[in-house]
Amino acid sequence: MARLELESLSRHYGATVAVRDVTLDIPDGEFLVLLGPSGCGKTTTLRMVAGFVEPSGGSIRLRGEDITRRPPWRRNTGMVFQNYALFPHMTVAENTGFGLEMRKVPKAEREAQAREALRMVRLEALADRLPRQLSGGQQQRVALARALAIRPDVLLLDEPLSNLDAKLREEVRIEIRELQRRLGLTTIMVTHDQEEALTMADRLVVMAEGAIRQVGTQRDLYERPADRFVAGFVGRSTFLSGTVEAPGRFRTTGGLALACDPGAPPGRAVLALRPEAIGLDPPPHADNRLGGEVELLSYLGPVLEMHVRLSPEDRVVVHLANRAGLAAPRIGDRVALGWPAGAGMVFAEP
Amino acid sequence: MRAGALLLPATLVVVAGLLLPLLLLFRYSLNAFVPGQFMVEAVTAANYVKFFTDPFYLAVLWRTLRVAALVTVICLILGFPLAYVLARTQSRHKNLLIIAVVLPLFVGNAVRAAGWMVAFGAKGAVNASLLGLGLITRPIDIMYTETAVVIGIVAVNLPFMVLSLQSVIEGIDRAVEEAAFNLGAPPGAMLRRVLLPLAMPGVLAGSILTFILGMNAYATPVLLGGPRFQTMGPLVYGQFIEQNNWPFGGAIAFVLMAVTLLLTTLANLVVQRRMRR
Ligand SMILES: Nc1ncnc2c1ncn2[C@@H]1O[C@H](COP(=O)(O)OP(=O)(O)OP(=O)(O)O)[C@@H](O)[C@H]1O
Ligand SMILES: [Mg+2]
Repeated sequence: MARLELESLSRHYGATVAVRDVTLDIPDGEFLVLLGPSGCGKTTTLRMVAGFVEPSGGSIRLRGEDITRRPPWRRNTGMVFQNYALFPHMTVAENTGFGLEMRKVPKAEREAQAREALRMVRLEALADRLPRQLSGGQQQRVALARALAIRPDVLLLDEPLSNLDAKLREEVRIEIRELQRRLGLTTIMVTHDQEEALTMADRLVVMAEGAIRQVGTQRDLYERPADRFVAGFVGRSTFLSGTVEAPGRFRTTGGLALACDPGAPPGRAVLALRPEAIGLDPPPHADNRLGGEVELLSYLGPVLEMHVRLSPEDRVVVHLANRAGLAAPRIGDRVALGWPAGAGMVFAEP
Repeated sequence: MRAGALLLPATLVVVAGLLLPLLLLFRYSLNAFVPGQFMVEAVTAANYVKFFTDPFYLAVLWRTLRVAALVTVICLILGFPLAYVLARTQSRHKNLLIIAVVLPLFVGNAVRAAGWMVAFGAKGAVNASLLGLGLITRPIDIMYTETAVVIGIVAVNLPFMVLSLQSVIEGIDRAVEEAAFNLGAPPGAMLRRVLLPLAMPGVLAGSILTFILGMNAYATPVLLGGPRFQTMGPLVYGQFIEQNNWPFGGAIAFVLMAVTLLLTTLANLVVQRRMRR
């Protein structure tokens, strides 16, 4: 029911373009994550949906109705602010019931519904406290309950977890995701935390400089990034710059001759390699087989991260799965690395 | 001990500059006044009885209260939007705006009242404009009315109200207003349920300040109200300087102070109780 469509949405601030030409179709019940570096326009996009920022161009449709010029109080969006923005002079129960009070829900019914919302976030016991008597995590949950209590058409979350410690963040992530799925709420969440985005989203939108770079599932973004920016922003990649000399042949500026995707057009390009796509001691007939010297080694737990110099100009990052019996190299060791031609992603450079 | 030592200079100033004159004044107010003999040492409540039994003086007190209350309410209504804009503006010229609000205070009350006299007169700017616009056919009397006095005091007190409100509104997170809008509150409801309750300390401080200044106004009522428009400030002055009746002047001054203190304390208590709820 609550499908949200953004069409060519833009916002300028004087000469700076905060958001440019954002078009998105968000089906009912989808959890969409806006991901991107600081200043790329995520918050501005979210605030245009909530009605706090007037678009310079484009339109917003909710449930098929054009709401572009509708004031925020008539939109029925539920927003969770980054700093929670609870009403400091109202109790937890009054905060949660505020939206219902504005909708003229009778007192008894309002209190029951507010209590129900608080129960969803497991805070019924704290209903009579004031916000300042709560921990950060509890305040966050009140903000969520307050937004849920109005049964919004869309739930808008602006970095809702950024003020929580790492452990709590992981818990709340799961909690929000489960609630959202159970209620079937169309949701947009803004974050610049990649892991958060990957664990929570149905679909992700990667933004940079106000524009959408790619929309897709986690797998789409990771395995088929649209451009060099996405390849670097979602997951890690090593970028080797050089030229596609002939179909399937890539020469780095450091002089290495590498096998690559035969479909890549000739010309200047970068070759992006995921750290886990590169293997140690490849079989003799591997597409790419190179020797190099280990320059840096970090133990990350599940993986061992190695920085290996292949030529004076080329260095790659390699992740080795930390299995039992792994003969870990040491700094200064010479190692043989290899990867299939298809593992490298080629992006043409201007 | 150290903290006590730090407070000593301020304490001395307060005792020497405020408490002593007050005690002296109170003592005078208990003295008797015999025409020709100036002040006669006594301990009598006669001056206070005189004030509270004479309808003339009670009318003056009532008029002063009415003017001060009206001025406070008008300052609040005019000052809140102004303070809000000042607190929320993103303009680089914010400091200039604040100076613009305070600027009128650079002109003394008497000079400013003289300015108003020019504006309010039968041939003044206000009447000329209204006549020119065809809103009135004959000049209206503004000069020497309560209206003129109220307008005059409002102009003096507005900056105090605006600054008190602005500093408090600045401390209220903008996101809280947005949260109210987001939850379905139109601007009026947001103001009533969120912004005003949170701005209450500023409303209280500004109102008390404005009320006190209004109760004690001197130059403005004298110049804009004329000789027949008596308020407490000029009344005290008249008793001391014109009638030479120090005991009665002291008593009036004390009544003025007590009433002002009583009302502001009462307002404070009421608001505090409502906020603690
Ligand atoms: N009120 C404003 N006036 C001027 N410029 C603004 C305003 N709001 C945002 N911008 C600019 O618009 C751009 C996008 O800002 P936005 O807050 O949407 O970024 P963001 O992606 O949410 O970043 P972050 O991750 O740091 O929160 C930035 O360059 C910012 O400076
Ligand atoms: Mg942001």
